[in-house]
Amino acid sequence: MTAALFLAVAAGSSDAALAQPKKFKIYLSLSFTGDAWLSEAANVVKALAATPPYDQEVELKEVISGTDPQKQISDYESMIASGADAIISMPVSTTALNRTIRRGCEKGVVFMMFELTSLEPCTYNVSTLTSGFGENSAQELVNLIGGKGNVFVVRLIPGFIADVRHYNGAMSVFKKYPRIKTFEYYGNATDETVQAETSKALAAHPDVDAIWSTAGESGAVKALLASGRQKLVPMTGEASNGFRLALADPKLQARGLRGVSSGGTPATAGYGFKLLMEMLTKQRTNVPHYVEYPLPWVPADKVRLCSGDRFANGCNAFPKSKVQDSFFDEVFNPAILPELSLTAALTGKPTPGARIQKLTNPIVAAPQEPGITCDRCTPPPNLYHLTKVKATAKP
Amino acid sequence: MKIGRDDAQALTLFAITIAFMLVMSRVGPGFGSASQIEAILVLASFVMVVAFGQHFVVLIGGLDLAVGSVMTLGGILAFAWIGDSATALWWGVPAIVAITGLVGAISGIGVAFARIPPFVMTLAMGTIAASAFLGITQGVPRGSASPFISSLFTGSWIGLPPVVVLTIALTALGSIVQRMTALGRRVYAIGINPNAAFLAGLPVRRVTILCYAVSGATAGLAGILMMGYSSGATLTMGQSYLLPSIAAVVVGGTSIAGGRGSLAGVAAGALLLTTFTTLVTGLAVGEGWRIVAYGSVILIALLLLRSDVSRWFKPPSGIQTSTARLDAGA
Repeated sequence: MTAALFLAVAAGSSDAALAQPKKFKIYLSLSFTGDAWLSEAANVVKALAATPPYDQEVELKEVISGTDPQKQISDYESMIASGADAIISMPVSTTALNRTIRRGCEKGVVFMMFELTSLEPCTYNVSTLTSGFGENSAQELVNLIGGKGNVFVVRLIPGFIADVRHYNGAMSVFKKYPRIKTFEYYGNATDETVQAETSKALAAHPDVDAIWSTAGESGAVKALLASGRQKLVPMTGEASNGFRLALADPKLQARGLRGVSSGGTPATAGYGFKLLMEMLTKQRTNVPHYVEYPLPWVPADKVRLCSGDRFANGCNAFPKSKVQDSFFDEVFNPAILPELSLTAALTGKPTPGARIQKLTNPIVAAPQEPGITCDRCTPPPNLYHLTKVKATAKP
Repeated sequence: MKIGRDDAQALTLFAITIAFMLVMSRVGPGFGSASQIEAILVLASFVMVVAFGQHFVVLIGGLDLAVGSVMTLGGILAFAWIGDSATALWWGVPAIVAITGLVGAISGIGVAFARIPPFVMTLAMGTIAASAFLGITQGVPRGSASPFISSLFTGSWIGLPPVVVLTIALTALGSIVQRMTALGRRVYAIGINPNAAFLAGLPVRRVTILCYAVSGATAGLAGILMMGYSSGATLTMGQSYLLPSIAAVVVGGTSIAGGRGSLAGVAAGALLLTTFTTLVTGLAVGEGWRIVAYGSVILIALLLLRSDVSRWFKPPSGIQTSTARLDAGA
């Protein structure tokens, strides 16, 4: 009797095992969180993991390590030890985690990094860093002000690889124009800090002609408006909804606000996750280790309000009632991430009725860039070449 | 009118600030201008409001490391609850100040009753608060900015942005409480020697809890103001105000060991530090050198204040210190 019961249970569990294939154990490892960009990145991954058929294939666990490399190393070690199949992560450092990552790779763990890269060759990376935000946006600004004037340069976070890349790209353009004078300060990628620092800079330099800003650019717009000046100046910034709404505002345009919205995007996390899943499920092989995400590029005259909960019919911004100013609109990409909606980006829950679509876009390998895609390599001679805009202003 | 040591220190700091502004006016066209001074006053208001509560905690020998998180809490709640509703404004602001005051009071209870060291207790409360609102908001605060609170930065009352007038009023009110009430004298007494204060029958625990509650409440108020200034809320909006709040208190002449200092000094410290950072931003100094310079200014200000500057302002006898005032009032 007991033996029969044992056999029945064993047979039952065996059937269940057959019916329920083993799920991939994937860890989402974040360096820090708390701002809109990172929250959206995390939400996108969580929403995709809960969207059919991934909901039957993935067991996703989220770990926030903080900004200390030692803590992220320790967390990676724990993930490897617990039998992770893959880790999708925003690494704190391009090099400090390498030894642990290498050990993980040797044990068969697949590492997929988004936006910030790792220089350990066994990792896979999806990023906009090499797509030229700095140089293209700077050239757009220079064109708008005719190649001369005072320009505020609002940098990201000191020591941040993205800050260095964007800044170097922008300065490669500004330095070609001797009649352009730059004043730089850090905005720490938050609206509040950018607003406070821009207020200080505006008070000292009321004769500013343009603002080149990285993330937090909505704060720069608010500082311009709060300064009481009638004449606004051209601006470039990243993809915050507040900035896009300002660019599209006819009243502000009439006062001189022009520019382009571009920059890094949390969609890299979603793109990386889908690539990772296609690799794990053997749907895709020969993926480049460093994949370039296409640079978002929305000039003022191309900003279109979305009436629904996602990008459709060429729209690329949302009404103020739906999201706050710091929301990164470019979390959406109808070609790569059609499964996403505002619900997914804001809450991490899957879009009702959505089903994962196979990636069909061409996978673009990122160029060699020292410190981003390779260590001690030679950069291409046209490292900061323009891809989105032509130089129309004369030096 | 007698000028005490604390008053002399505050006057010295105001003099240094004015000297900074005069130097600034020679640097470039916008430096030292009315718009720059207005920007400095507005930005100093945030530091001042946070430092107000921090000052009371430091005065009793404590330290509140939770102000950054509590400030964020205030901003997030204001963004979520008040929005563009005029009705919500009237109940929302007092409710948020009460909640953040309660968070501060919990820190005070831990320090006063459980005898947990202030930096451990407040660090823990700050971490709990930060983790709680990260979990509740899922990383993205939702709501809308109150037009009335935003107008405090763009309007004009008696020629100044309303937020500056409110900060001056808050400082004046706090100074009156500090100098002219029994509660104010008790705070100084506890800071000088808590054991002696206890033996003298002063309600040491109650006053300790109250000081931390004030710190939480003013941090929450600063968060509400910051939400209005930036028309939004993020989970990191208060982070950058922890160190400036302590720096303003210390540079303003408040003894880190407790028992000495004044709100006028704290206001002067906040103004000096904001003026300096504005000057540095305007000069586009590199970030590394900016931090070096910021630290140097704090050091220089402390060295200047260590010398007995009250001698510069008063006759040979009758120096009135906080301790003397305490003695006189006891």
